Amino acid sequence: MTSAPPDRVHAEHAGVGTYVKVAVILTLVTALEFAAIYIRALTPILVPLLLVMSAAKFALVVLFFMHLRYESRVLAFLFTGPLVIAIAIVVALTTLTGAFLVYKR
Amino acid sequence: MATRVEAPPHAAVLRSTGLVAWLTTVDHKRIGLLYGTTAFAFLLVGGIEALLIRLQLALPGQQVVTAEFYNALFTMHGTTMIFLAVMPLNAMFFNYMIPLLIGARDVAFPRLNAFSYWVYLAGGLFLNASFLVGAPPDGGWFGYANLTTRPFSPGLNIDFWILGLQILGVSSVVSGLNFIVTILNMRAPGMTLMRMPLFVWMSLVTQFLVVLAFPIVTVGLIFLMFDRFFGTHFFDVAAGADLHLWQHLFWAFGHPEVYILILPAFGIVSEVIPTFARKPLFGAPVMIYSGILIAFLGFGVWSHHMFSAGMGPVADAAFALVTMLISIPTGIKIFNWLATLWGGTLRFTTALRFAAGILGVFTIGGLSGVMHASPPVDLQQTDSYFVVAHMHYVMIGGTLFGIFAGLYYWWPKMTGRLLDERLGRLNFWTMFVGFNLTFFVQHFLGALGMPRRIYTYSADAGWTLWNFVSTVGAFVLALGFAVFLVNAARSLRRGAHAPADPWDGRTLEWRTSSPPPVHDFDEIPPVYSRDTFWREKYGDRHGRKPVPLPPVRDPHGIHLPAPSMWPLVASVGILAAAFGALMHVALLAGGVLVTVVAVFTFALEHHRTAAHAHQIGNLDVDHRKLAMWLFLASECFFFGTLIATYLAYNGRNVVGPHPHEILNIPLTTISTFVLLMSSLSVVLALDGAQRGDRTRARGWLVATIVGGLIFLGFQAWEFTEFVHEGLTLQTNLFGSTFFTLTGFHGGHVAIGVTWLTTLLILDLRGRLSVTDALKVEMAGLYWHFVDIVWIAIFTLVYLIP
Repeated sequence: MTSAPPDRVHAEHAGVGTYVKVAVILTLVTALEFAAIYIRALTPILVPLLLVMSAAKFALVVLFFMHLRYESRVLAFLFTGPLVIAIAIVVALTTLTGAFLVYKR
Repeated sequence: MATRVEAPPHAAVLRSTGLVAWLTTVDHKRIGLLYGTTAFAFLLVGGIEALLIRLQLALPGQQVVTAEFYNALFTMHGTTMIFLAVMPLNAMFFNYMIPLLIGARDVAFPRLNAFSYWVYLAGGLFLNASFLVGAPPDGGWFGYANLTTRPFSPGLNIDFWILGLQILGVSSVVSGLNFIVTILNMRAPGMTLMRMPLFVWMSLVTQFLVVLAFPIVTVGLIFLMFDRFFGTHFFDVAAGADLHLWQHLFWAFGHPEVYILILPAFGIVSEVIPTFARKPLFGAPVMIYSGILIAFLGFGVWSHHMFSAGMGPVADAAFALVTMLISIPTGIKIFNWLATLWGGTLRFTTALRFAAGILGVFTIGGLSGVMHASPPVDLQQTDSYFVVAHMHYVMIGGTLFGIFAGLYYWWPKMTGRLLDERLGRLNFWTMFVGFNLTFFVQHFLGALGMPRRIYTYSADAGWTLWNFVSTVGAFVLALGFAVFLVNAARSLRRGAHAPADPWDGRTLEWRTSSPPPVHDFDEIPPVYSRDTFWREKYGDRHGRKPVPLPPVRDPHGIHLPAPSMWPLVASVGILAAAFGALMHVALLAGGVLVTVVAVFTFALEHHRTAAHAHQIGNLDVDHRKLAMWLFLASECFFFGTLIATYLAYNGRNVVGPHPHEILNIPLTTISTFVLLMSSLSVVLALDGAQRGDRTRARGWLVATIVGGLIFLGFQAWEFTEFVHEGLTLQTNLFGSTFFTLTGFHGGHVAIGVTWLTTLLILDLRGRLSVTDALKVEMAGLYWHFVDIVWIAIFTLVYLIP
């Protein structure tokens, strides 16, 4: 175990400007999500559209606010690996119980 | 070997053998010994339960115990052996050996390590206290709902089981996080991942399985607990529930659990065989990849436990395929062990006998497992004694034989004494013969149609002979355990003193004294290769010894963690709360209060200890940060299971209100925006803390706390509105799943607010400096995770119709 200066990693993180930009994008995407459910023309693609927008927000928070974009690849792997397995289990469970969204529509 | 001995801080306390020293110990070796002795005691309890089962079945029409008590016996036998005996016996080796094998002085979080042990003990005592109040769990070790719901199991029996397993789950997950961080971040210089001993590798893989699989069953247990305590409908068919859900949640944990039990044994065998064959492990990298592959595939085979549940041909085929695939990496291990033995200079010690025994008996269990992978064959064998035979060939023939190999191998290191080899041989052969006598004939009983969990049978069933033989075998097996106890007692009282390296070992643990000093190594040992100590002693295959590396010295001397009473106090609080949940609300509140106080004191105990300030390890990441990311990975499974259940039950309501009638999307969009912006404020607080701008950090911390409170306010308002409109936890499936999912999320937000408020108070009192920015980062990571979970919930629950 070795000591490291407290701000050693900090310098590699995004700056305040980036954080604000991400927050603005998150706000806009949330507004788009809200609007999308009231636009009848989007009904056929609504579910995949909402899932994509949600995934984009999820990724923005993880990459920039949680700094995973700037962390070591090992750390990214330790989180995204289990996340992918967890999502696969969610898909499997919903499919096995006959509730998988894609099959229902 | 040059040595440099310094007296570490607290050395006198750490060497003390008094009761207080043991109750407050955070030394990985002592905790390992505590695990070992406790687990062995539970192994004997589980063994006695097994003997009672076998006595009851020895002859037809027996009434050795009542039918009700028989149900409790087979339930508690399975539960005890898995959660209280075998897993903790493996934990004994994790605790004692992993730091020694990787050249570390302790684990990453010594106090959490003690906490894991005391919580495990609390869980074990709680589960077995059920016998004292006449309500032992009696629903089978897999607790199938709806048999375990209140209408069919009205007593406290199942409540003990549910709460006991949840307590044990806390212990296991905390321990799992601790060992992953220890292994990844605390290896001696030169010990790359591929140079780690196989036992360390298999332990690492096992901890990932623990951390990721336990949350799934935890959610299942929460559902069952809510059904029993609060009248929810997760397993209420009349309300539209699907009973397959319990089976899915249980086995999505339960099958990885099989590998949680067996992989450490595989690791032990991979250490024992090369040592006593005096050869490197054949194909070591492939053995590592095989272990990883087993764990990965282990998440995709759970429904082979459910072939008879009627999942349909596609699901059956998929799970059959993956189950058959998993036999490939397992087979690789068997063949590589054989190849290691081949041509080796074998020394048939007791440890090698047990390890070699696995090659035979585990393979039998593995082959019957491949038979179960075929759905048509499985349909004939399900719930028969054939399955009981298979399971015990894997669990005893694989895991327990592996643990005994490890006991004989590492006993000298742990106790400083040698076990008697003659008694060891007697120990092995009585266990080997007794085990096969007990369980091989159960294949015949299964083929003859004897169902498992049956209380008794009639003489004309044709099962008498093999049942009698099996019972005789069980007592021979018990005799084997007794021989071990005699051997252990003799060794501790007057066994020969063990040298540092009694087996001419290959790995780092043999480089230090037996037993090791409190600080493990006087100097952090150099690492030259996978079998580094062997290489140091004998050189490479051409006899060339490595150029000695300079000793690695701790820049600030040897730091050892101070003892702490708070892990014990926290576990006492948890135990009291669990009893309170079944007895009286005052005891529950008292237990929760003690736990909360202990957790806070625990967290702040070393807030200002300089040695705890920075803990950067091999991955160039602080231990705490690494642990937090791993915890969040574990939380993905927790919330993933909650979300999957919501989706699975969406549209199954028998009565209203339905989601589209009641969800207030505009309002929730506003609260979602507030939560998203609190993610911005917390990252700005971190930025301020890292720059040493305390005013800015404080301001954004306040903003985040206010944002969290506003979100919670919205949620409280929403819940109140729903209750006014007739939707509660008990109304319908939507109410049960919605309130549970969003309620747990709200609970996480509340914990986040508490955490951030604690940091704010520390800051206001001048106790948060720039060196504490990592603490803000930890709280921030947790807060962002709560945010991303809500992003998923907002879309899947509110927006998608």
